[in-house]
This record gives sequence, C-alpha cells and structure tokens, in this order.
Amino acid sequence: MSVVSAFLIPGSPLPYVQRDNPPWGAMAEAMEKAGRALAASQPDVIAIYSTQWLAVLDQLWQVRPNPSGLHVDENWHEYGELPFNMRTDTELAAAAIAATDSYGIRSKGVDYDSFPVDTGTIVASNFLDPEHKFKSVVTANNLYHDWAITENLGRVVREQAEQLGRKVAIVGVGGLSGSFFRQVIDIATDHIANVTEDDWNKRILAMMEQGDLAALAKACPDYAMQARVEMGFKHFAFILGGVGGNFVDATVHHYGPLYGTGGAVVEFRLA
Amino acid sequence: MSKGEIIAGFLAPHPPHLVFGENPAQNEPRSQGGWEQLRWAYERARANLDAMKPDVLLVHSPHWITQQGHHFLGVERLSGKSVDPIFPNIFRYKFELDVDVELAEACCDAAAEMGLTSKMMRNPNFRVDYGTITTLHMIRPQWDIPIVGISANNSPYFLSTEEGLEEMDTLGKATRKAIEATGRRAVLLASNTLCHYHFSKEPIPPEDMSQEHPENFAGYLWDMRMIELLRAGKIQEVFQLLPQFIDEAFAEVKSGAFTWMFAAMNYPELAGELHGYGTVIGTGNAVMEWNLIKAGLAQAA
Repeated sequence: MSVVSAFLIPGSPLPYVQRDNPPWGAMAEAMEKAGRALAASQPDVIAIYSTQWLAVLDQLWQVRPNPSGLHVDENWHEYGELPFNMRTDTELAAAAIAATDSYGIRSKGVDYDSFPVDTGTIVASNFLDPEHKFKSVVTANNLYHDWAITENLGRVVREQAEQLGRKVAIVGVGGLSGSFFRQVIDIATDHIANVTEDDWNKRILAMMEQGDLAALAKACPDYAMQARVEMGFKHFAFILGGVGGNFVDATVHHYGPLYGTGGAVVEFRLA
Repeated sequence: MSKGEIIAGFLAPHPPHLVFGENPAQNEPRSQGGWEQLRWAYERARANLDAMKPDVLLVHSPHWITQQGHHFLGVERLSGKSVDPIFPNIFRYKFELDVDVELAEACCDAAAEMGLTSKMMRNPNFRVDYGTITTLHMIRPQWDIPIVGISANNSPYFLSTEEGLEEMDTLGKATRKAIEATGRRAVLLASNTLCHYHFSKEPIPPEDMSQEHPENFAGYLWDMRMIELLRAGKIQEVFQLLPQFIDEAFAEVKSGAFTWMFAAMNYPELAGELHGYGTVIGTGNAVMEWNLIKAGLAQAA
C-alpha cells in the first residue's frame, strides 16, 4: 500500500509562533501528536497540498531538492520568522508532473532560490516532521482548479508513489470555517467567530470521525459555501484523492479557533 | 513645517512581465523584450514623475494581502530577493528600498483615528511583494525616492465590494491627512490592473507577443469605457460604475488601490493622461496620470 497515513491540519502560523496562548497551544500540541502518528506510519515521503500556495497558471510542484530559508507571514509578521528546511523527493515530484497530463492538468516544476514557500507548507513541515526525517512532495493550490481536479492531484500522488514503491503520508493543509476577526482581539479569548459556522465544522468533523463518506460527499459543497471554508475545502479533496476516496474513520486531535476561523487536526484511519 | 500635499496620482499596474521585458540588472531571468506598449507608457510616466520632484511615493499593492487591518511597511531599509510565487520563471528581483517610516506611521495613526484597524510592519526580514516592487521599478527604476508600502486589506472580498471599497475610501482620506500633516510632496501609485480575465496557460517563451491579446472581449470593452471616462475626467461616473465594472470585468481595482488613490486626491473631476494601454496574459492594463500640479490643485516644487 503506497499511502500509509493521512492528515488534515490548519495552515495558520499562530499555533507555531504563539503556542503559549492557550487556544493556540492546544492546536500546537495536537499538531505534534499528528507528527508522532505520521512518524509511526513510517512514510518515505510526505505529500503536502497547502491552500496558501496559490497558483494561477498551471499546476506548480516544488522540485528544488532542498528548499530552505526564513519566511515572514504577510499578515502575522509581528510574531517573527518561520524557518524552513525541507528535502524534496524530486523523483516522485517529476513523476507526478509527468502524470498529470493524463488527467488534463498541465504541471510545472518550481526550482528557484528564495522561492516563497507558503506559511501553510512550512507549518505542516515543521510540526509534522520537526527533525526533517522525511522527504516531501509539495504542490500548489491553483485558484481555478475545482474539487474534482484537486482530488485528481491526490490521486496522481498516490499512483506515482505506488509506481515508484514509495510509502507516502498525505497531508491537506488548510482551515475549516473562514470567518475571522477583522479587528485586533485579546488572543486569550479567541473563539470561532460565527456560531453557524461552528456548528457546521462540528458536523463535518463528526462525519469524518464516523467515516461517513456518503454524508461527507453530500455535505461538503454546502459546507464550503455556508461556512466560508478556506478555498472551498479543496485540501480535503486532495486528501480524498490521495486515500483513494476511502477511509475507515478519523480521530480529531483538536478543533479550535484561529483568530475566529476554524481549524482542526484530523488523522484518518485508512482502509 | 509647510503643509504637505498630494501632487499626482498614477494608475500603475504591476504585471511582473513588464520588469521581465525590461531586463534590469536586479531581475535574474532574461527576456527578448515584450509588452513594449506598456513599458513605453511607463517611460512617459517616468519623465513626468521626474519633473514633479516628489519627496515620497506611496503604493497600495493587491499582492500584499492582509486580513487584520491595513498594514504599512515600517522598516527604514528593506532588502532581499522577491520571487513571484505565481510567475517565478520571470520575476526573481533583488530589491533594496528606503521607507519613509515617519509618513507610514502617520498614515497608520490617521487610519486608526478614522476607525480602521491598522498596523505597522516592523519585521526586517519581510519579503516585499512583487506588486509593490514592479510598480515602483516601472515608475522609478532609480529607486532613489523613499516609499510607503500599503497592504491590500481583503475587506472587498470578505465583506461586500461596496463595504470593502468604503474602507479604502477611508484609508485614502487618512493617507491624505497624514501627507498634509507631515509636509510631504507625495505621489500616489494605484497598483491595479483593469479587466483581470487572463489566460490559464503561459506561452513559450512568455514574451511571445504573437500570443498576447485581450482574453475577454467584454472585459476589453469595459476597459475602454472606463478609460474614456477617466480621460474625460468623469470621475464621479467612474465610481458610480465601479461595482458593475468589477463584477463584469473581474477588475482588479476591487482590491482597493484605485479607490484609495482617488479618495486621497478627493475625487477630482480631472482628465487623466493615458500613457498607454496593453494586455498582459490577457489582462487589461492602463498607465494613467492625474497631475494635480498641472491642474492647479497642487504647488510645483
């Protein structure tokens, strides 16, 4: 089996840069728990799809062997830098790029010094693989790609990992409900900004916990729209494609607020 | 200190292709040219800017997106390499720029006083976005005038277009107040494309101008309609049409720079000078100038 584990995690930097704030500290602990679970699944490579790596032309894939540097988030710059040091599975990335053609997706590799690796990818990499043990395959969120195309990206990763004999952990990086506080808040009192969206998040997470794929398939389009889910919840589509459209159930390690938006750390138990 | 004033505003779009086409030393990739109509338009704008002798250039960029308020660059000297995450193949630019921190702080304070959430960006490792850099490079490639960089709060997308642009109007008024209070002679740069429908595939090579044309005819017609009104100085009519233009032409002016600039200039019913129009991967771009000195609304240096 090429896919050995799968996770949904938020891409906000707040749990990483300000974990001493209780609402965000709990999220940080859950991310670390997910990291331990990921390590226990013994993957060769972590496949990351982050909503925050935006693409417009083509589907972009990181192919630089060792993307590293310091990143400053454009919104949360006051909390300092996000260091990153990743190792790309260039062979798997190249195979994925070549394979997307058959799904009608034109892909392109990105191999540039100082390329701005996005906050979500860095947060995922640093929390889930703090010792940089695993190689990664990272792909972008093309704004014009819909749910089905994004699901195919996950599928391509799974198929190419299978071809190359890689064991892969699938990681979708992005938020749940999208309403955020536009003003400065007392961060210790952070909470989900919108009650209806909070209810939606809980319903969706319960469906994941139950492994109710049919209910999820039915609910996700409405959820994405009514709860203003980040990027239409395409990060979950990537996960579904990666796990072959199937998982047994899921463990929600934590659900909580990120400046009003919803975030959850979810580990999927694979069939 | 004498009272400061805004001496001009420019519609100054930021496709990184224009820098790529120019082949400046700061940009790593090399091209065979391309997008000359727009680059020559910027050459004309540069000459006029030079004659104005401004103290500072203020730029509002849609590619520095913030959610919690309107942010202002607040580090005196910023440098680094800015790689465009969308077009890394054509824009990898080594930048060095000086920020007028005093004016930026005054703008930030004035915005807060007028009810907006505002914030200074103090992190010296911050990567300045390609929109800010492209607009500044194209209008003043010497980089010898201090700047104020302003983020695009995403309110027009998170709220309604009208509510978001109302915030940009307030931001413009706050900017004007700060310029007047600090005694600066300021030029405003609205870093916006007009019609924003674009191709989904890039030509090879990117500068192959045989592939360049408007992506959307209806969007092109909208651009021409708005430019005609701007050239005629019918600013009130432009702003009446703006929400419809944004909606039907997917216009990037939604992100707020255009409204910010005109609010700061107090929406003068003044004919804009069109330096040039051209498309970049199908989007519509106009370089336009509103010279308040020539119009008698500001003092010459």
